[in-house]
Amino acid sequence: MIVRFAAVLVAALGLAGPAAACAHPRTSLNALEGEIMCPTCHTTLDQSDAPAAQRIEVFIRHRIDQCATESQIKDELVQNFGAGILAAPPRSGFDLLAWWLPLGGVLLGAVALAFGVWRWSRGRGPDEAPPPSGLDDETERRLDELLARLD
Amino acid sequence: MRTLKLTGQVVALAAVAGLLGLLVWRLTHQSTPPKLGGPAPIFTAKRMDGVGSFDLASLRGKPVVVNFWASWCAPCKQEAQALEQAWRQYRKQGVVFVGIDYHDVTGDARRFLDHHGVTYLSVLDGSGQIGDKYGLTGVPETFFVDRRGRLVGDHILGPITLQKWASAFHQGVQAALDS
Repeated sequence: MIVRFAAVLVAALGLAGPAAACAHPRTSLNALEGEIMCPTCHTTLDQSDAPAAQRIEVFIRHRIDQCATESQIKDELVQNFGAGILAAPPRSGFDLLAWWLPLGGVLLGAVALAFGVWRWSRGRGPDEAPPPSGLDDETERRLDELLARLD
Repeated sequence: MRTLKLTGQVVALAAVAGLLGLLVWRLTHQSTPPKLGGPAPIFTAKRMDGVGSFDLASLRGKPVVVNFWASWCAPCKQEAQALEQAWRQYRKQGVVFVGIDYHDVTGDARRFLDHHGVTYLSVLDGSGQIGDKYGLTGVPETFFVDRRGRLVGDHILGPITLQKWASAFHQGVQAALDS
């Protein structure tokens, strides 16, 4: 009985061992598949059945089993394949520009559009001064009198 | 108001000029496949054996066989032993073989070399930049470089073990030796 209990305990520890060995929550292949590109087909791993993509998936699974973190796995892939292996540029350093530039462009465009609309609406306002007629004051006064008489 | 308008115009023009510059840069830096008789694209790459880096230009004066391969490529497995045999056959005549491991996991590539007993020099091209320079369409592909650094012979698009490429391979090596 004791021997059987010990065998079960050893087996349970054997199964629990690898999971318990990680000091942090394990990442998963599913979490990474959409963020890593297949280098030969230029789609993300989750959309590719290419042999190169399958080998990268095997590598990722292997590193997950070894408790590597998501960032460690990504770093190793970048070291192996270059930065192009990542589906999106990193959010640090010079690569941060790739995130901020489009946002900046959209904001700048919105500001330019708002300014244009504001100017356009001001130009069509009812209280806008009439354009100068090119007549001197005296002639204008006489013209007004003449028009008043006609009314 | 006039200054603001002028600033806006300058910014818009600068943006257009920047985009135009990017387009021109992209067009001028696009890789075009090398031509037969033209210079073989030179490159520097990390050696698979970990002994620093390798520069193709350092082999000027020697005939070179450049073979692109990957561990995930089934036809590469077919030709691996034939390439090793060819290397052993031609190295006495001064021919250098260079294997370029294309878009591959380095650990897999090392196991591939061990498994197939490949002893000639292999270098890493994980990012595929060297492959792009050669206008690679897939793996395996083999190129021949003569002593003057020019591409000679037929560019082999597939395993050299295929009947249609077997004679082209030896003719390519011979062309690299002769010129």
